[in-house]
Amino acid sequence: MERLHLSQSPTLAIPLAIALSARFHMGNKQAKSKHNSNGSRRRDGSARSNAQPSATESLRTYSIPDLRQEHPDLSVRQTIEKGKDGVEHVRYEVTGNLNAPVPPISDSKYLTKQQCIEIYRYMLLNRKMETALENLYKQGKVVGGVYFGLGQEACSCASAYALDKDDWFAPMIRNQGSLLVRGFRASDTMMQYMAKADSPTRGRDGTSHFGDIEKRNMVSPISMLGDLIPVLSGVALGARLQGRNVAVMTYIGDGGQSTGVTYEGINFAAVQNLGLVLFVESNLWAYSTPSEMQYRCKDLAERAIGYGIPGVIIDGTDACQVYDAARDAVERAHRGEGPTMIEAKMMRMKGHAIHDAAAYVPKPMFDFWKKRDPIARFENYLVKEKKWLTTKENAELISEVEQVIEAEREIAVNSPMPTPESAEGGVFCEDGCHDIKPKYGMPKVKKRSGGFKETEAAVHLK
Amino acid sequence: MQLTYLEAIRQGIWEEMDRDPSVFCLGEDIGIYGGAFKVTDGFIDRFGPERVIDTPIAESAIVGAAFGASLTGMRPVAEFQFMDFIGCAFNQISNMVAKTHYLWGAPAPLVLRGPSGGYVHGGPFHSQNPEMWFVHNPGLKVICPATPYDAKGLIKAAIRDNNPCIFFEHKYLYRRIKGEVPAEDYVVPIGKANLVREGSDVSIITYAAMVHTALEAAEVLKNDGIDLEILDLRTVSPLDREAIAQTVKKTNKVIILHEHSRTGGLAGEIAAIINEEAFDDLDGPIVRIAGLDSAVPFSPPQEEHYLPKVEDVVREARKLKAY
Ligand SMILES: Cc1ncc(C[n+]2csc(CCOP(=O)(O)OP(=O)(O)O)c2C)c(N)n1
Ligand SMILES: [Mg+2]
Repeated sequence: MERLHLSQSPTLAIPLAIALSARFHMGNKQAKSKHNSNGSRRRDGSARSNAQPSATESLRTYSIPDLRQEHPDLSVRQTIEKGKDGVEHVRYEVTGNLNAPVPPISDSKYLTKQQCIEIYRYMLLNRKMETALENLYKQGKVVGGVYFGLGQEACSCASAYALDKDDWFAPMIRNQGSLLVRGFRASDTMMQYMAKADSPTRGRDGTSHFGDIEKRNMVSPISMLGDLIPVLSGVALGARLQGRNVAVMTYIGDGGQSTGVTYEGINFAAVQNLGLVLFVESNLWAYSTPSEMQYRCKDLAERAIGYGIPGVIIDGTDACQVYDAARDAVERAHRGEGPTMIEAKMMRMKGHAIHDAAAYVPKPMFDFWKKRDPIARFENYLVKEKKWLTTKENAELISEVEQVIEAEREIAVNSPMPTPESAEGGVFCEDGCHDIKPKYGMPKVKKRSGGFKETEAAVHLK
Repeated sequence: MQLTYLEAIRQGIWEEMDRDPSVFCLGEDIGIYGGAFKVTDGFIDRFGPERVIDTPIAESAIVGAAFGASLTGMRPVAEFQFMDFIGCAFNQISNMVAKTHYLWGAPAPLVLRGPSGGYVHGGPFHSQNPEMWFVHNPGLKVICPATPYDAKGLIKAAIRDNNPCIFFEHKYLYRRIKGEVPAEDYVVPIGKANLVREGSDVSIITYAAMVHTALEAAEVLKNDGIDLEILDLRTVSPLDREAIAQTVKKTNKVIILHEHSRTGGLAGEIAAIINEEAFDDLDGPIVRIAGLDSAVPFSPPQEEHYLPKVEDVVREARKLKAY
């Protein structure tokens, strides 16, 4: 995968005072330093020793850049209305400008024509894989439910596309597109949903709950929301102890970010200056709960200020914005400059899972966001605006993707169910099942002059 | 009237909210949506958003806030969308709630409830039976009903109880089990087991969904001339020691059946109670039937292999009878 290299400081921005000093640092040693161990460091997370704070630094002029080309003002609240039955019902109601014009796709600072088309193809794969899953469900071939990332394909695909090979990531349930970008096959996810013997977990778990620490550097999610964040921070920590700054990308929802472990994980990464790239997927709903009932700040990216890390807001339906923000954050991570929070605004365009008709969502919200469909808009951008794809090439691409998905579906359907006995074993790593060694090379440890302590210090309890 | 297990729980909470203004519900998606399993469907229209509170996704905060409110004399009923997520609130429950009365004399009249259990292909994070995490926590009452009658009577008892109660609803039973539930107000006492089937040959000590597994096995074994006695514990903490001893004294042969993993499971505790209360009455080894010592796998053939089945009970009962 071809990459453009950034020669300048990250444009991702950050509290103003910090941004100034960060640029200053980029110009000198900090930009070149390979990895950043846990040393004394300033509030912006960059490592700098004992310089006097400048006058600007003591001013609180934090800001969160917002790269969007529109700022939807929709808001949801509970109201009580009398139904036809004469009974009072509590319902959700949306207010705001529901007729705002659809913004254009932003030109990427980094992406080439070819890369844009590649991301577009992944988005198509993502959506068509999910359509195939929906059909498999209707045919009774899926065990349990199906989760969709409809309307969020740009966020899943363009974010993962910004990672380099050695970087790590962990998807949440709707990031099935990220898996495709990282080289998993659609049949992997399909087999997970069908609980097949050849699924990556060999039937033991479903959905996007699988991982790969060998090749694709993916941590398997668990259902509990937020728990991946400290884990990914730990991956960055482990790599740094081995002399490597890797970017570690994961996602959290507008609902999931309410968990305590989210705070712990981000703060840990902030304090330790770890290369966490956290996508906050603000898709307006958490199951049936609107984001208005989940948090009180205006934008979740504002939380970054409290963590002392850069935060940025982007349009999650614009693949170019997603990529650019992700790439900036990934490069920051590679430079050892610490975590970034990216809030991607969009809407979950289906129910929580296939069983949920989302009757609680005010319908005009779907209409509003349907016009902002990430694939339709990117297609329009590539075909009509940029003319990077002819109509014919586009049609060919779509049919190629459909063929891939059909072939993947065949593979998945034809995989057998696991045997009952395959439920057993594998609880422990034993009998040489793994050869565990530092992935990036044995840590180079320094022994200092401190000697083994012979005397006992005072302790809390004796 | 005939109610499903789920309807019985819904009615129990509803009646308590109607009866007592200090009862309120909190949890994720319990309001307009009515809860992931629809236990609180219609509650928000009846009791309003003030008493049916949709919370952020924050299990520790839900439990902590429920406890805080209970300190002011309220009786919160907090829902976990799945009991698997109760681990996210473990410290609040184990160190805050469970210890409060013993340490500083403050009661915690709250209920933590939600769906647990397997047999519905929920996978490793939507199928667990984490009751043992709390049985090993002095200060908590742990309730696991098997029938609509008990579910309603026990949820009411839990809400009225002055102590923290964790109420495990078995999601397999929610809509599969129907039973007679009286219209008039009643409670089922916490800590009392129920002899759901009298028999003379082998006792099955069990609870929750496994009661129905045992009942099915009893029908099969009838044809072999084996007469099962089935004790439904209903509450797993505190355990009804007397009822456990009584059934052992009667049949002298006992199988303990539970859905959660075998090691460190409830059967070990019950075996110890039998050892203490009725050792001389045993005419055979105490047999355990339980889930495997692993996570609950997702794929149906694997899940079925993991979980106890009617055939397991039949096989073990035959062996034990012949012992
Ligand atoms: C700790 C925890 N509590 C509850 C749940 C149940 N649950 C699963 S997804 C979900 C809503 C998540 O909403 P959000 O984080 O906004 O993600 P989205 O579904 O919108 O992508 C809930 C409540 C869970 N998975 N984990
Ligand atoms: Mg959401």
